Order: sequence, then structure tokens, then C-alpha cells
Amino acid sequence: MRYIKLSSENFEKFFNSLKALGKVYGPVKKGNIYSFQEVQRAEEMSLDYNRTMLPPKKFFVMPRDTILRLKNGRWENGINDEPFVLFGVHSCDIHGLKILDKVYLEEPADPYYRVRRENAIVIGISCMPDEYCFCKSLGTDFAMDGFDLFLHELPDGWLVRVGSVRGHEIAWEHEELFDEVTEEDLANFRAFEERRAKSFKKELNKEGLADMLDLAYNSPVWKKYADICLACGNCNMVCPTCRCYEVCDKWLNAYEAVRERRYDSCFMESHGLVAGGHNFRPTRLDRFRHRYYCKSYFDPSAGFNCVGCGRCDEFCPAKIEHVKVLDEVRGSLQ
Amino acid sequence: MTENPYISYDARILEVKDLTPREKLFTLRFIDPDVGEKFEFKPGQFVIVDIRGFGEFPISLCSSPTRRGYLQLCIRKVGRMTKFIHRMKEGEIVGIRGPYGNGFPMERMEGSNLILVAGGLGMAPLRSVLWYAIDSGKYEHIWLLYGTKAYEDILFRDEIIHLLKHGEAMNCSVKLAYEVESPSCIYLEKGFSDRVCRGVVTDLFRGEEFDVNNTYALICGPPVMYKFVIRELLDRKLSPGRIYMTLERRMRCGVGKCGHCIVGTSTSIKYVCKDGPVFTYWDALSTRGLI
Ligand SMILES: Cc1cc2nc3c(=O)[nH]c(=O)nc-3n(C[C@H](O)[C@H](O)[C@H](O)COP(=O)(O)OP(=O)(O)OC[C@H]3O[C@@H](n4cnc5c(N)ncnc54)[C@H](O)[C@@H]3O)c2cc1C
Ligand code: SF4
Ligand code: SF4
Ligand code: FES
Repeated sequence: MRYIKLSSENFEKFFNSLKALGKVYGPVKKGNIYSFQEVQRAEEMSLDYNRTMLPPKKFFVMPRDTILRLKNGRWENGINDEPFVLFGVHSCDIHGLKILDKVYLEEPADPYYRVRRENAIVIGISCMPDEYCFCKSLGTDFAMDGFDLFLHELPDGWLVRVGSVRGHEIAWEHEELFDEVTEEDLANFRAFEERRAKSFKKELNKEGLADMLDLAYNSPVWKKYADICLACGNCNMVCPTCRCYEVCDKWLNAYEAVRERRYDSCFMESHGLVAGGHNFRPTRLDRFRHRYYCKSYFDPSAGFNCVGCGRCDEFCPAKIEHVKVLDEVRGSLQ
Repeated sequence: MTENPYISYDARILEVKDLTPREKLFTLRFIDPDVGEKFEFKPGQFVIVDIRGFGEFPISLCSSPTRRGYLQLCIRKVGRMTKFIHRMKEGEIVGIRGPYGNGFPMERMEGSNLILVAGGLGMAPLRSVLWYAIDSGKYEHIWLLYGTKAYEDILFRDEIIHLLKHGEAMNCSVKLAYEVESPSCIYLEKGFSDRVCRGVVTDLFRGEEFDVNNTYALICGPPVMYKFVIRELLDRKLSPGRIYMTLERRMRCGVGKCGHCIVGTSTSIKYVCKDGPVFTYWDALSTRGLI
């Protein structure tokens, strides 16, 4: 890894230089909620944000996405391949994208996702956990790859890790904005990371998690929470690794139609419904439990399908807490 | 962007045949001969039928890859899309993408006996296996145990009756169970008293002996059927690894992206569209919710 320093006074120049690469999206505060929005000036962003409601997946797997257009009876790609910059992505969300990569880039690669991924410049930023975060338990609190540049906050600027060839190019083209990293910067970087590691309030016990859950299939805890759950599907929408989609065709006029994908949620009754009205997950209990199984599936090459971002807790209207459910299910086994 | 796996290829409907009041057989051919040439499939695989501007749905290939130049789909009218295609006529065009899924391991089973257990519409994918096995001549003996509701519901009735009469010459024994009595069934039962009976598909196992070390069972039918059929097979000491079944789930993409067909728990998650739709009973034992 290459480490360089971006001083506070060069920050704005650096930000402005990115606009030449494409539209820049960064975390913006709207009411009490943060979201990734197009930004023109650095000060529009809230770089000390905790989490956006929708994760950066919305740029790759879009909430509504017109994938094909029907012209003269034939499908044409409805793809937009402009480069863009995602500024200020947290480490857990970078891990979230890597999990989506596993799914969407595996053969046959999803062409929409692939093009957007190739066109995205990802600039990570360090953060401090709040009461919902448990990324440290899952090892997703630090990103080793999956970004072009990663900015770590220092008292007088940013320690920048260069994570890709494109990151190197960006740093190269704006060499004048960066300094060498000093011993003091490194000490500050270490101190920040230590302070951060100590700030986590929530911890997930992932010891044998997958097996433990499997054994607890009939635990009464599932039912207890399924009864509280509103089946609104919020937890799916906001999760950086949830990516189920529905497809539907729509006519624009008598000659033109589009095929659209949109987010689907395994909490919806239609999710497992097949012909003749047979449903493979007929009850809310089935659907509630399914989400936890899907999130806690452990892929040896990619880890769990949860990165501990805390969104599902923060945005659950029934105040159901992911870690608490898992802990209780574990408790019910003994 | 050169390849888009979600774009279907044009195929012309060559023939539409009523099989039953609910099911029609569509015979299709790709318009572009290159596409047709490259389209190779295995019994048990499926395609996604694309009615452009209206939607897509998964359907098993029910013709055999041994019979090239066309594809056949047996489609039951159950809802919006299937109603739509039931109104389509010879000469019209639909989109086809695929083939998808793993299919049955036909090569691994060469030299063995095959027991095909079909319930209702489950006959469709198994017909592909049946004709593949008969045409290739590479299998010891083929049993087809077919359970159907009534005489009118027998899919591919002509073929089934033909095989009841002449199957032995092709190493194939057909047995049929029906639930609703009718004059036609009684007539069939009289003609083939040892092979046609009133009852359910598991009744057809009665009196059958097979060499468990040299036999594979292939099952397809409604969800309730699997448990009972598997019990019959396990009672006869057939190894779970020799029991193959093809499953259905809601499917959108067919290629492991849309998430609809995921089954299982934290220790084993399977995509029915790409890890299946054919699974062994071992898979069912290790993946909860598969059957
Ligand atoms: C691997 C596989 C093979 C199949 N093979 C056959 C076959 O050979 N013959 C046959 O008649 N049927 C087959 N089916 C079932 C067939 O896909 C459904 O009957 C069909 O999708 C129903 O669509 P509909 O719009 O008419 O029904 P509706 O009940 O109106 O469906 C409502 C919606 O749910 C969707 N839907 C319903 N069932 C399914 C399903 N199983 N998978 C995906 N989406 C679904 C439909 O696309 C539609 O948008 C198969 C299904 C699978 C998964
Ligand atoms: S399950 Fe919850 S905590 Fe885990 S990644 Fe999804 S939204 Fe974040
Ligand atoms: S957000 Fe909460 S209430 Fe809504 S579906 Fe998820 S767990 Fe249930
Ligand atoms: S059908 Fe989309 S993931 Fe299997």
C-alpha cells in the first residue's frame, strides 16, 4: 500500500479535482438522515456522518432500474456508463460492495452492475462507531481493498491509503496536493484507530454463528420477534448486502416498453410465491427467519452476508435489533 | 457492452398442441440458425420465456437434446403470463434465454437403470430424460412411474400409451396411476392390468424390485409428492446420492442474481436456478427447506 498525506488546506482543491472525473456523490445531511447525493462543493458534505439510509449499493443495484428498452420488438440495453466518484464511503460499505461483487460479477456477470462498478471511483473515509455499529465483530471495520483512495482523519488533514491503479493515477496527477507521511502522522493514525476500536458499544458473537443458528431453527425466539415485526421490508432496503430484485415490463406507449428491475424484499408475501398460489415461505415467521439465515450465511471466500453497518437496527420501525435477536436465539439453545 | 445475458433470442412458434385443457405443448425454433446451433442443453434444464413488454417466466425443456432442430415446452395455464402464451399461435415469436440450471447428470448414470417418478406437470422435464435415455440406448432399463389426476390430465397421452404397448422393446416400462375414475381409465386398466391402477404414484412401487446398486431415481412433481416418493426409495435401500429431484421456486433472473430462488439456512444456501433445479437427496438433507 502507498501512504500519502493530504493536508487540511489542500482538501478542497483535492475535492474539486475529482469533479473532472465525473459526477461526485458524497454524504449529505437532510433532516436527521444522511444520504449520498451529488455534491458540487466540499462543504455540502457531512464527512463525520454515521451512516446513510440507503447504502452505496443504490448506485450499482438501483432501487428502480430500467434495464431494457423495447424498440421495434427488440430489446436494447438501457445502460448509462458515465464515470462517477463516490466520496466518503465507510469501510463496512466497501465490504458490502465486495459482497455484492461476489454475486453480480460471478459468471454470467450482470452487465449493468459491472459497468457501473468499472465506472465508479470509490474514495473511502474513516469513521467513529455509534451505538448501532458492530462491524468490528465481523472484521469489516477496516478495508484492505475495494477502494481507490481511503482517507483517514488526522488532526491536520488526512492520511491517504492508495488502493488501486486508478488511485495511484489520481494521486500522481495531483502530486502537488500530497505530502510524504511523517512519523507523527503515523502515530496519529494509530491513535485514531485505537480510539475507534475501543468505541464500539455493540458486539456480535460470531463464534460458530452459522451452525448455532441452523441448530436453533425451531427456537421460540424467531416467533417472538416475527410477532413484533411489521414485515415492512425496511431492513432489506437499507442493507448494503440485500439485493433481491423483482422485474416487470411496462408500456410507455403503443410501441415502446421498458423492462424494469426494482428492489424486492424477502418480507413480502410474494417473494416465495409460485404458480397456483403455492408459497414456499407462507408465514411471517418463515420470512423473518429466512432473512437472518441469509444474512448469517458464511461464505468461506467472502465472509458473512452482514457487514455490521447497523442500518437494519436504526431504520426498523419495530426497533428489532439484529445482534440482540441473534444473541437471544443463541441463548435459547442452552 | 457486447453480451447481455438478460436479452432473449427470437424463437418462432412452429406448432401449438393442446395436451390437456390446461396444458399446451409449444414447439419452437430459434430464428437465427447460429443461435439454434449453439443452443445445447441437458434434460432437466430450463429456459426463461420472454414475452417482450409483458414479462418472463421459467419453463422446463421437455424435448430431448437428442432431437435437434427444435425445442418443446409444455406450459400449464395458471396465471397472467401463461394465459398470454396460451393465446399465441403458430408463426408468432417469443424470446428465449438459457438454458439454465444444472440438469440431470445423464452421463454419470449411463449403464444404470433409471426410475423416473413423475407427478402431474412433473412429467414435462422427465419427458426430456425419457426420450434422451431411450434415444441414446445407454441405459440398462427405464421405468416411468407416472401419477396423474384423471385420464384427461395425462400429459403426452399418445406417447404414454405407445410406451405402454411397445415400451419393452425400448427397454422402457411405463406404469400409470390415476386418481379419478373414468371409462377411459377403466379401459386402460383392462388393457394393462399390471401397469395401470387407480391410486397415487407411490402405489406404483408395489411389486417392483430393482437393483439398488445400479439404479438412479429421478423425481419431479408437486411439492407434497417428494417426501412420500423418497420414503419408498429409501425403504428399498436406494442411496440418497442416487435420488435426484428437480425443484421449483419463484425465479426471475435464472442466473443467481435476483435472490428469489434462494433456499437453506446459514450453513447451506442454495440457488435453485443455478445450483439446481436438480438436487440429490443428500442436498435435501443438508439444505433445509429444499423439499
Ligand atoms: C425451473 C422451473 C421450471 C418450470 N417448468 C415449468 C413447465 O415445464 N411447465 C409449466 O407449465 N410451468 C413450469 N414452471 C412454472 C412456471 O414458471 C409458472 O407456472 C409461471 O411462471 C407462472 O406464471 P404466470 O404469470 O402465468 O402465473 P401467476 O400465478 O399469474 O404468476 C404471478 C407472478 O409470479 C411469477 N411466478 C409464478 N410462479 C413462478 C415460478 N415458479 N417461478 C417464477 N416466477 C413465477 C410469474 O412470472 C408472475 O409474474 C416452472 C418453474 C420453474 C421455477
Ligand atoms: S444485516 Fe443490518 S447490520 Fe448487517 S449489513 Fe445488513 S443492514 Fe447492516
Ligand atoms: S425493518 Fe424491522 S419491522 Fe420492518 S421488516 Fe425488518 S425487522 Fe420487520
Ligand atoms: S432465479 Fe434469480 S437468483 Fe435464482
